[in-house]
Amino acid sequence: MNNLNKRNKAETRFKLYGISAVIIAITFLFVLLFNIFSSGVSAFKASYIGVKIEIPSAMNIDEINPRKEFKRQVLKMFPEVETRSDKRALLSLFSKGAIYEFEDLLEQSDSNGLDGYYWFLAHGDLDMYIKGTVERRGNEAGRINSKRMTFVDALREQNLIQLQANKYLLSSADSREPEMAGIRGAIVGSLYAILIAFIVSFPLGVLSALYMEKLASRNKFSDIIETNINNLAAVPSIVFGLLGLAIFLNFFSLPRSAPLVGGLTLAVMTLPTIVIASRSAIKSVPPSIEEASIGLGASKIQTLMNFTLPLAMPGIMTGTIIGIARALGETAPLLMIGMVAFVVDVPGTPLDPSTALPVQIFLWADSPERAFVERTSAAIMVLLLFLVLLNLAAIYIRNKLERKW
Amino acid sequence: MSEKLKISIKNLNVFYAEKQALFDVNLNIMEREVTSLIGPSGCGKSTLLKCLNRMNDLIDICTMDGQVMIDGANINTPDQDPVLLRSKVGMVFQKPNPFPKSIYDNVAYGPRLHGMAQSKDELDSMVIKSLTRAGLYDEVKNRLFEAGTGLSGGQQQRLCIARALAVNPEIILMDEPCSALDPIATAKIEELIEELKRKYTIVIVTHSMQQAARVSDRTAYMHMGELIESGFTKNIFSNPQHQKTQDYITGRIG
Repeated sequence: MNNLNKRNKAETRFKLYGISAVIIAITFLFVLLFNIFSSGVSAFKASYIGVKIEIPSAMNIDEINPRKEFKRQVLKMFPEVETRSDKRALLSLFSKGAIYEFEDLLEQSDSNGLDGYYWFLAHGDLDMYIKGTVERRGNEAGRINSKRMTFVDALREQNLIQLQANKYLLSSADSREPEMAGIRGAIVGSLYAILIAFIVSFPLGVLSALYMEKLASRNKFSDIIETNINNLAAVPSIVFGLLGLAIFLNFFSLPRSAPLVGGLTLAVMTLPTIVIASRSAIKSVPPSIEEASIGLGASKIQTLMNFTLPLAMPGIMTGTIIGIARALGETAPLLMIGMVAFVVDVPGTPLDPSTALPVQIFLWADSPERAFVERTSAAIMVLLLFLVLLNLAAIYIRNKLERKW
Repeated sequence: MSEKLKISIKNLNVFYAEKQALFDVNLNIMEREVTSLIGPSGCGKSTLLKCLNRMNDLIDICTMDGQVMIDGANINTPDQDPVLLRSKVGMVFQKPNPFPKSIYDNVAYGPRLHGMAQSKDELDSMVIKSLTRAGLYDEVKNRLFEAGTGLSGGQQQRLCIARALAVNPEIILMDEPCSALDPIATAKIEELIEELKRKYTIVIVTHSMQQAARVSDRTAYMHMGELIESGFTKNIFSNPQHQKTQDYITGRIG
């Protein structure tokens, strides 16, 4: 009786340990996610300043100098501004991108003239103040000095500063100006890299797993290969970066910073994961099915192609997608092959210089500009979204292929 | 009984690496008869059976010497194609192992593999014929395109027999085909064996002496890798020549 009590108590205690472990783990996860989301969500909005633009339709837009015209239109709103330094302070509230936006606006107007308020991208310093990231102390807020602040207050009074959807974040590549910086270049670079990694490592991994598991004879040599592949899976990823640097850049002279090289390096890194997952998937195919096929007069290769491979496919795909997801989040090997460069163009082909998402996060996290903090978190959110999508794809494929019979 | 020799095994020795599994086995198997192999576990019955369609080839460590002749030709010479051999010698396994495909595709797999059907209609009739011969057609004719793995154990085993019949074998090897089945399903398979022996030569490994007595014309008793005694089933069971056979049949060993 006494014993039973003791045993029950021990069981309850053990259960409690388990529950608290789970709670602690989930708490960590939520704190992390909350942190990223709360600081990153504001990056999807940006501050815009409304400017009253008046251009008569008679004017030939080809003769307009956009830079000068934009300045004129802005200064027109504050006729009292006289001194050079005041003018400069007012204009410094706009991003460099505002001029380009004005140019686009002129082109779209098609010589029909413009009349009304249009919205132009504000400078990152102002954006930080509007979003409350930088607090106001008296007449100053961070890099907004008292002179600039008078214009800010005046504009706000007329309700001419607004938060709108950030057009740049998802549509442009990196920039020195935080308000114009986006992650499209990094996303495209990452997609190219993992696509190449998949194309290279999937067939290589599956074929070597199939050969080692089903066709190779067992001897000391095959044991050594097996052990080495298992060891390879545990090699730190930066070592693969060095390998990529030595082989793909120095020996084959492929272009530096290109997603092609990044993809090949990630392929080498992913290969052992795919081989190990494929081998265990192939191993778990019931031998009775293969025997039945052989017994009916199918050759070994026919049996492999008709039964072993299709039955192992869900496991192989799951392993592959998990390997690719790991490659997507990998930074270190890409640093070694130069995908860490500051690139302002979205890469058009896998041979163009590019960064990758995790590297972009690394670069922005390193930047002293306050405005890059929220963009770092936003980039992390996008990376997490891609990882979640990949994992969902893995689950979907596994269920879909397995449910067949 | 035709009394025509179908398979003749001469001085067969089989080794798994260092371990010898069969010792100098000599056995004749007659055409269109049921021959059962009985004996205690690990005595080499299944090994002997697998020698008849070279399934042992798949095991790296397995080596053999001696002769297995089918219709007077040695099946182990290098110019013999094991794939052709296996279409001539079908096999049914201990555990029902239908493919994870539809009932139709299970049976059609062999004919498709060997390109036996010229048209869809021909394939259809082959599938129906095989299922009918295996006594399964009436039970599954309305769900030919459902999963073969959804059938009951006994039906699955008959599906496996139909699958083996579809490639028109001459010999059918059965490795304890009823060991995973209940008595009713077992009875159906035994009836089927009775039916099939009119057309096919059948070799069956069984643990059940009653089964051997019920279905087989001849019986071979094996012990520790040696063939102790073989002959007509009724003689073996009523009047065993050898002490070990007697012990096994009366339940003293095994």
